[in-house]
Amino acid sequence: MGIWIIVGIVAILAVVFVVIYNRLVRLRNGYRNAFSQIDVQMKRRHDLIPNLVETVKGYAKHERETLEAVIAARNQAEQIREKLAGAVGDAHTMAQLGQAEGMLGNVLGRLFALSEAYPDLKANQNFQQFQEELTSTENRVAYARQAYNDAATSFNDVAQTIPSNIVAGLAGFKTAGMLEFEDREAILEAPKVSFG
Amino acid sequence: MERVFDFRAQQSTSRRATALFVLLFAVLTAVVGGAIGAAVAIVFTYRNDAIRIDEYEPGVALFLGLLACGVIIVIAWMRFASFGGDGSRVARTLGGEQIYETTADADEKRYFNIVEEMAIASAMPRPAAFVMREEDGINAFAAGANPERAAVAVTRGALTRLSREELTGVVAHEFSHIANRDSRLNMRLMGMVFGLVVLWVAGRSMLQIFRFAGRGSGSRSRGNGGKAIAIIMIVALALAVFGFLGMIAGRLLQSAVSRRREYLADATAVQLTRDPVGLAAALKRIGSESHGSRVRNAHAAEARHMYFANASGSISSFGGMLATHPPLVRRITALDPHFDPLTDPIWLGRAPRYEDKAADDAGPVPEASSSAGPWG
Repeated sequence: MGIWIIVGIVAILAVVFVVIYNRLVRLRNGYRNAFSQIDVQMKRRHDLIPNLVETVKGYAKHERETLEAVIAARNQAEQIREKLAGAVGDAHTMAQLGQAEGMLGNVLGRLFALSEAYPDLKANQNFQQFQEELTSTENRVAYARQAYNDAATSFNDVAQTIPSNIVAGLAGFKTAGMLEFEDREAILEAPKVSFG
Repeated sequence: MERVFDFRAQQSTSRRATALFVLLFAVLTAVVGGAIGAAVAIVFTYRNDAIRIDEYEPGVALFLGLLACGVIIVIAWMRFASFGGDGSRVARTLGGEQIYETTADADEKRYFNIVEEMAIASAMPRPAAFVMREEDGINAFAAGANPERAAVAVTRGALTRLSREELTGVVAHEFSHIANRDSRLNMRLMGMVFGLVVLWVAGRSMLQIFRFAGRGSGSRSRGNGGKAIAIIMIVALALAVFGFLGMIAGRLLQSAVSRRREYLADATAVQLTRDPVGLAAALKRIGSESHGSRVRNAHAAEARHMYFANASGSISSFGGMLATHPPLVRRITALDPHFDPLTDPIWLGRAPRYEDKAADDAGPVPEASSSAGPWG
C-alpha cells in the first residue's frame, strides 16, 4: 500500500515537472523568436550604414572624424550582434549590444545634424532615401525590442516564481536579459490615455 | 513589468460587441419581418369578402414575416460573403491602388515603411498597403476579416499633408482596427444594413412598377388583375415602409457601434506607437484643412464607418446619432487633455504642414532623423 502512495506522488511530481518544463521551453522559444525579429532589423541597419557613409563622403569631405566614428560604432555593434547570435538572452551580451546600438544611434544623429551645413547633400535624393530608411529601421528596432522585452518578461515571470523556478533551476534555464537602449525612460513610460 | 498591450482583451470586447450587435440585429430583423407579415395579413383580413379569407390568419402573418426575415438574412450573408473577408478587394472597390516596397515615390515609400513598422509593433503580418490617389482629404481605412487578409489604405492627401509622426498615428489607428477585429465587425455591419436596404429598395421599385401597370389596366381594374395588383401594392408598401424604418434603425445601431470602436482604436494606436502627440496632431490637421477628411469615392457612403474620420461632408445628422465617428474635438481631447480649439496652432491651421516644410527645406524635416522616431 505504502509503496503505491510513493509511486503515485512521484508520478504526479513527474507530470508537474514535464508540464512546467514544456511551458518554460515555449516561453523561451517565444523570446528567441522575438529576438530574431530585432536581429533582422539591426542587420538591416548595419548594412545601410556603409552606403550612407559613401554618399555623405562625396559632399562633406571635411567631416572625416564623424564618418569614422559612425563606421567604428557600426562595426562594433555588428560584432556584438554576431556574437549574440549563438547566445540569445545572455544578459551580459544583451547589455553590451544595447550600449553599442545606443552609441550608433548617437553618432548617426550627429551625422544627420551636420548634414544641415551641406545643402547639396540634403537635397541629394540618395541621402534622403537613406534618411528615411534609417529612420524606419530605427523605429522597427524599437518596436521589435518592445516585443522582445514583453516576451522575455513573460519568460522571466515564470522562471523566477514558485514552483516553476525549481524546474528552471534543475533544468538549467537562465534568466532572459532585457534589451535596453539609451532611451530607456521613454520606453518604460508608456503614456496612459483615458477615453470617456 | 506589466504587459503594455493586450490584444486578447480588446478582441474579446470586440467579440462581445459583435455578439450584442448580432442579437440586436436579429431582434430588428424579427420586428421588421413581423411587422411586414402582420401588416399584410391585417389588410387581407380587412378585405376578406374579396380575397376569401374569412378570419384573420396568424399563419399568413407568420409565413410572410418569416419570409421577410429569411430574405434579409440571406441578402446580408451574401453581401458579407461577396467580400470573402478579403481586405484588398474592399480597398480596390473604394478606389485604392496597391503599392509595393519598390515604389519610386518618396511619400509612398515612407508610408510603406510605416506600415512595416506597425506590423512589427503589433506582431501581426504586414497587411497590403493601398493609396487612394484621387482623394485630397486626409483619411484612411482598414479592411479584412483577419490580419492575414487585411489591407490598409490612406488618401493621397494624408500622404502629402501629414508628417511622419502624424501618419504613423493614423496607420496605427487602422492597425488597431485590424488587431481588435473591428474590420470583421465592420464588414458584417455592412452586410446586415445592406439586407434591410434591399428590402426597402425592392418595395419602392415594386410600387413604381405596379403603379404604372395599374394605370395601364385602368379600364378593367375591377377585375381579378386589379385585385392582384392591389395585393402586390400592399405588400410592396409594407416592404418599403418597414424596410426603410429597419434601415434607419440598422444605421443607428451601426453608427453607435462604430463610435465606440473609434475611441478604442485611438487608445490602442497610442499603445502601439507610445506617441499620443502624432495621432492628436493628425486629427487637428483634419479639423484645420478645408478638405478635412472628405472622401469623394462613390462607394464611400456605404463604407463610411470604416474610415479614420468622418468621410462625408456633413457631420451632424440626427443630432450626431447617425455619425459614425465621435466629434474630432472629443477625440483630440482624449489624447491631449490640454487641447484648446481657440489657441491650438495646428487646429487653427497656423503650424506649417509637412508639404510646406518639405518645399522650404528641399528635404525631409531635420529633427525627424536625429532621434528614434515615435519616441521623439
